[in-house]
Amino acid sequence: MSLYLPIAEMSVNALLIILVSGGIGFLSGMVGVGGGFILTPALIFMGIPPSVAVATQASQITASSFSGVIAHARRRGLDLRMGLLLSAGGVVGSTFGVQIFAIMKALGQLDLLITIFYVFFLGVVGALMLWESLAALQRRAKGGPPARRRRKRGWAHRLPLRMRFPQSGLFISVIPPIGIGVLTGVLAAIMGVGGGFIAVPAMIYLLRMPTGVVVGTSLFSIIIITALVTVLQSAQTQTVDLVLAVLLILGGVIGAQFGARLGARLKAEELRIILGVIVFATALLLLWDLVAQPSELYVLSR
Amino acid sequence: MTVLRPLLVAILLACLAAPALAQRPGDLAAGITEEEVAVTSDYQGARLTVFGVHWRGGRAKSDVVVLLRGPGEEEIVRRKRRVLGLWIDSDPVRFSEAPSFFALASTRPIGTFLSASTIANLGLDPGALARLESSTPADSDPAAYRRALVRLKRAEGLYRESAYGLNLEEDGAFKAPFMIPANAPVGAYSVDVFLFRNGRLVQQKPGEIVISRIGVEKTIHTAAHTWPLLYGIATVLFALAAGYLAAFAFRRR
Repeated sequence: MSLYLPIAEMSVNALLIILVSGGIGFLSGMVGVGGGFILTPALIFMGIPPSVAVATQASQITASSFSGVIAHARRRGLDLRMGLLLSAGGVVGSTFGVQIFAIMKALGQLDLLITIFYVFFLGVVGALMLWESLAALQRRAKGGPPARRRRKRGWAHRLPLRMRFPQSGLFISVIPPIGIGVLTGVLAAIMGVGGGFIAVPAMIYLLRMPTGVVVGTSLFSIIIITALVTVLQSAQTQTVDLVLAVLLILGGVIGAQFGARLGARLKAEELRIILGVIVFATALLLLWDLVAQPSELYVLSR
Repeated sequence: MTVLRPLLVAILLACLAAPALAQRPGDLAAGITEEEVAVTSDYQGARLTVFGVHWRGGRAKSDVVVLLRGPGEEEIVRRKRRVLGLWIDSDPVRFSEAPSFFALASTRPIGTFLSASTIANLGLDPGALARLESSTPADSDPAAYRRALVRLKRAEGLYRESAYGLNLEEDGAFKAPFMIPANAPVGAYSVDVFLFRNGRLVQQKPGEIVISRIGVEKTIHTAAHTWPLLYGIATVLFALAAGYLAAFAFRRR
């Protein structure tokens, strides 16, 4: 079934887009990550202009994060105070990110910016995912006890402007959460991702938040940040395609719900390895496009 | 079509009497199957045929050329350069008035019966139509950029030349089918029919078709560009509603 996208100004196969976003939503629902960092490159490979893919993808993440946060809020897995601080940083970061996006678009270097961000972050995240899940498998094979995280006071506890976070049982400086929010906001604007893959590890290892509230809190800030990115991108670059958004939301949200159900009954390590391989391979593929001798030396840019 | 042709010729003969359709009666008449193309949500491009009839002037060899041209637009062509091991799009060159879409159908390759200057003067060469707006980088050739523009637009299916795409019958009737792909922009397209005899232009008939968005496509596109802020807020509200619905529908009982 072909559908014409009014902003991308092209005709796409609607069923294919729903299937791809549904499949990636399913996979990410099983593992518990947003999936934006695979879906955006997939859209670009399918011929959607990168600017439209990134800006539109943000709205899909708003939808899937909103459907996720409701479940977390019900079982009190949400630190609202922390979420608001992260969002405050996110507002600054995403406003800044959208400005960079607009400037690079005007310079004709937006595709390069997006690709470099993807190569770097996908490479790092893919490698970490593989490393961590392989290590976990090895531990299980040895039959030893799972590695225990030591709860010691990190530098987040020593910086000034400390604040109490009763929900997380923390008394830490507000600077690190705001900093994490800023970085997440920049990534959301430039990569069209939620940034959970940066925010969640940072909250666990830097802020030492209890894992029970990490995902809900990060989803909360992701909703605020991606909603803002969607509005800012619409206002500044006019690259949000509503028809594409509907397709992505339809596939992504439903896929993630089914994935989350199945994921609860499966072993996470094997899934993480699969996802890690996909993420790492995507990074290599994007890198190859940048370093390989191009067959056509000239490009058209609008 | 064989049965219809005498009828078509008769209709065209009648049309020739109408002053609006014939500049110089007796030489050329032409029409287009679709003069308005609507871009709807299932738009996959448009097919149209330019048809007509011409009067053969004695023993002279006649050629007909049909040119379908989209609105002129600015194009920026960049050349990739290797920087720190990465191929970066650099050295931009700006062209203005490059045809957004250009399709040519002729009885035979136009280079075989027209001189290069005639081709350029009549605008039958898309590369010649594009105006170079900025200076080219010192070490490069402007012609290479112009060739690249044509090559890249051809690769996108936006420049197409069909050297034998015009079917000229013994009785003077002709037809040329065209395909406008979905990635061609909306706007007013000019349709020019040229009649040549022994390589000399005898008559040129201008026409026009309009491609426009209608319905939902038009509403969304207009909203995104006229009220971008509201459009963004509406997209977010839709996303939130969809997320809420999904959470509600899939709630664990």
